[in-house]
Amino acid sequence: MLRYWLEKVWVQNTVLAVLGLLSLYYWGWVFDFGYDFQWPILFTVNDTYQLNFGVEILKGLWLTVKITIISSLIGISLGTALGLARLSDFKPLNWTATCIVEFFRNTPLLVILFFFYFAFPQALPEAGREFLFETQFEFWTATVAVGIYTSAFMAEVIRAGLQSIPKGLLEAAYSSGLTYVQVLRKIILPLAFREIIPPLGSEFLNNMKNTSLAMIVGVADLTWQAQQVEALTFKGFEATTAASVLYLSFSLVIAFIINGVDGRIRSSSKGNNSLPVMFINLLLIPISVFNKVLVNPAARYLRHRRRANMHSGVQVSTSQLILKKLYVTLVLISKGAFLAILAGLLFSLVRGLYNFDWSVIITEFPTMLVWQFPNATGDDLFWGLGGFSLSFIIAIVAIVASFFIGLVVGLGRSSDNRIFRIPSLLYIELIRGNPLIIVIYWVYFLIPVLFDSFINTVWSASIALTLFTAAYLAEIVRGGIQNIPPGQVEAAYSSGLSYWQTMRKIILPQALKQMIPPIVGLFIAIFKDTSLVTVLGVMELTSVTKALDNRLMIASMELWTTAAVLYFLPCLLMSKYAKRLERKLSPEQINLKM
Amino acid sequence: MRLSRVLALTLALVMMASVAFAGPSYDRIMKDKKIRIGIMTDSIPGAFFNSKGEWVGFDYDVATELAKRLGVDIERVKVNNKTRIAFIQQGRIDASVANMTHTREREKSIDFSITYFFDGQKILAKTGKYKSLADMKDKKIATMQGTTSEINVKRALKALGVANPDAHVISFQKESECFQALQMGRVAGWSTDATILLGYASKTPGKFELVGEFLSDEPYGIGLPQNDSALRNGVNAALQDMWRDGTYMNIYNKWYGPDTPFAMPMTGSIELWP
Repeated sequence: MLRYWLEKVWVQNTVLAVLGLLSLYYWGWVFDFGYDFQWPILFTVNDTYQLNFGVEILKGLWLTVKITIISSLIGISLGTALGLARLSDFKPLNWTATCIVEFFRNTPLLVILFFFYFAFPQALPEAGREFLFETQFEFWTATVAVGIYTSAFMAEVIRAGLQSIPKGLLEAAYSSGLTYVQVLRKIILPLAFREIIPPLGSEFLNNMKNTSLAMIVGVADLTWQAQQVEALTFKGFEATTAASVLYLSFSLVIAFIINGVDGRIRSSSKGNNSLPVMFINLLLIPISVFNKVLVNPAARYLRHRRRANMHSGVQVSTSQLILKKLYVTLVLISKGAFLAILAGLLFSLVRGLYNFDWSVIITEFPTMLVWQFPNATGDDLFWGLGGFSLSFIIAIVAIVASFFIGLVVGLGRSSDNRIFRIPSLLYIELIRGNPLIIVIYWVYFLIPVLFDSFINTVWSASIALTLFTAAYLAEIVRGGIQNIPPGQVEAAYSSGLSYWQTMRKIILPQALKQMIPPIVGLFIAIFKDTSLVTVLGVMELTSVTKALDNRLMIASMELWTTAAVLYFLPCLLMSKYAKRLERKLSPEQINLKM
Repeated sequence: MRLSRVLALTLALVMMASVAFAGPSYDRIMKDKKIRIGIMTDSIPGAFFNSKGEWVGFDYDVATELAKRLGVDIERVKVNNKTRIAFIQQGRIDASVANMTHTREREKSIDFSITYFFDGQKILAKTGKYKSLADMKDKKIATMQGTTSEINVKRALKALGVANPDAHVISFQKESECFQALQMGRVAGWSTDATILLGYASKTPGKFELVGEFLSDEPYGIGLPQNDSALRNGVNAALQDMWRDGTYMNIYNKWYGPDTPFAMPMTGSIELWP
C-alpha cells in the first residue's frame, strides 16, 4: 500500500515540500540559535572601519575569478603538454613528465604553495628575486601553483583520453599518408577531447575550489575576504554564508559552461538546443563568422596552390627534402637541449640536497612523525600525538565514516524515488560546489549549534573531511551502480528479488569491486587534504612543520622538503597500488605509442 | 531546476546558525573546579613551543597563575588569532589570554578584563635600511590578517599619502609567515606589537631592528564571555592581587626582564582598585 503511493510522483513532491517547509519552520522559528544574526553587515557601511564589507567580498570574488581563469589556462595547456609528453617515445622526456605529474598529484597544494612562496625565491640570485618582487608576487605564486597543480591532474585525464583512441584508427590515418601533426590535429585531439570533456570539467571545478588556498600567501580572494569580515566584526556566520553562496554560484556557472561545451562537441552535426549549448554557440558566433569569412577562403586558396604545385614539378620536392632534414636536426637539437637542461636541474637538485643541514632533519624527524607523543599538553588527544600520524588517523577516520554516508547517499542519488534522490542530490552538489576550507568552517560553526557541546578541533576537522569526502564517494558509488548492465537488474527483479535483495546480492558486490581503485584515489586526496585543517590549529603534519619552522627559522627548505616527502611517499605508494588494482580489474588495455 | 534546489538548501542551511552560549560561565567554572583558557601557540615570548617542545611563555604563565588565584584547575586550549574570539563566543573557552588588544569593535562581541599588559605597534625592518614608515611607503609591509595592526598600518600609509594602501600591505595567516616574508626580502617591514617583533628579532641578533614611532597603543586584555560579571570581577581581582604581591613582576621579568632577549622596561602600572 505504502509502496503504491510512494511511486506516484506527486506524492513524492508533496512529501519533499512538507519536509522542506517543516524544517524551514523549525530552523526559522522554533530552534534557538543563541546567535545575533546581523545580515545588514553584508550590505551596509561599517562605522568602525568605514568599509562596506559586501563590496569587499565582491572584490574577493573578482580576484577568485581572475585566479581561476588564468590558472585554468595554465592547467589545460601545461596539462596537454605533460599528457603528450607522458606518451612520448623519447624516454627522458617521458620520465621527466612522469616525475612532474606524480610529484604534483601526490603532494598537498598547501605544501606546494609554501614551497613556491617561501622556498623558491631563496634559491634565486638577488637580481632574480628583486625582479620577482616587483611583480604581484603573491597573486602570481598562487595562480601558477594552482595552475601547475591542476595541470598534473589534467595530464592524467588527457593521457587516458588519448589512450582510449582505437589503435586501428591511428594506423589507418598514418597509412593514408597523414603526418604526425596532422593525425594529432585531425584525429587524436578531436576524438580524445570528446572523451575527456566530462572528467576535465570536474578538474576545472576542482581548480576553482583550489584557488581558495591563495589566502594562505596573503592574496585577498573570496575566502580571505570572508575571513577578514569574520576577524573584524566576528560575524563569521554571515560572512561564510556569503562566501558559500558565491562559490556555489560560480561552480554552477562553470558547470553550465562545461555542459555547453560537452553538448556542442557531442552534437556537431545535428542541432542540440539545450540552454548551455545555445549559450556556447552564441559565444562562438564571432569565431565562426571569422572562420567563414577569412580562414576558410584562405585555406581553400592555399590548398589549391599546393595541389597545383604538386602537379608541376621536382624542384619542390628537393626543397621539401631540405625542410625535412632541417626538421630532423631541429628535433635532435631540441632533444639535446632538453637533456642538457635536465642534467643542469638534476645537478642543482643534488647540490641543494648535499648542502642540506641533515642534522636538523634527523633531530626533528621524530617530532614530525608523532609531535609531542606521549607528553600531552593542554587539550591534546591521543597523548599528544600529532604530525604525520595524526594526519593519517584523521584520513582513516574520514574515509571509514564517509564510506557509509557515501554508500547511503550514493544509493539515494541513483534511486528512482524523488524523496531519496533530491535530498541526496542537494547534499552532493552543495558540498561539491564549495571548497573544503569553507566546509571546514561550516562544521566548525554548526557543531556547537546542533549538538549543544564542543568537541576537540581534531574531531570537528575529521567530521568536515568526512562530510566532504562522502559527497565524492557518493558519486563514485553512483558511477559503480550505473556501470552494472541494466539487464542484470531486470533479471533480478523478474526472478522475484526485492530492491534491497537486488542491491545487496547483485549490484553492490560488483559495484564495490569496481569502486576500490577510485576509493583508494579518494583516500590519497583526503590524506593530502588533512593539511587544510591546519586553519583550525590541529597539530597535523603541516601545522607541526610550521611550528618547527617558526622555532628554528633557518631550516625552512629542509623542513618543508621533509614534509613534502612525508606526504608524497605514502600517496605515491597508494596510487601505484590503485593502478595495479585497476589493471587487475580491467586487464584489456592497449598502450598507445606516439 | 538544479539551481533553485541548491539555493533552497542554502537557505535552509542559513537557518542553522552559529551560537553563543550566553550565561553563567562563572558558576560552571566553580562547580567543575576547572577553567578553560585559550592560549596562543606561535607568539614569542607570549606563548610558544620551546626547543624541548614545551608550551611556555608570558601569557602561559599569567593564565596558569590566574587559574591558581581563582582556585580552580586549568585546561589550556590552543587558539590562534582567528579562533581566540570565536571560541569565547561559542563558549568553547572561558577566557582567552592570547595577546589580544582591547578594542571597541571586539567589545561588541566579548568582554575584556582590565589591561594586563601594555604594548604598542611598531615596525621591524632590516638593520640600517629604513628610519620610519615614510621610507617604506613604496615597498610592501607584512601584517597578520584580522589584527588591529593590519588596520593601523593601512591608516598610517593613507595618512602618508599612499593612494592604495591595500596594495602595499600583505596579510598573512601567521606571525612566522610574516617573519619569513621579511627575511626573504618580500616585504620591507613587518608591523605588529613591539613585544612580538622583539621576540622574532632576537632569533637573528643584529639583523633586524624596530624602526619609527609607535603606530598605536595596544592595551592587552583578557577576553571573557559577554555579560558574565562574576567571572570578570574574579579575573580583575586576581590580576590586581598578582600585581600587588609582586607575582606579576616576577612573571614579567622572567620573559621581558633586562637579562632576557626580549628586554623591555616596565613603565606603567595596571589599573588598581582600592
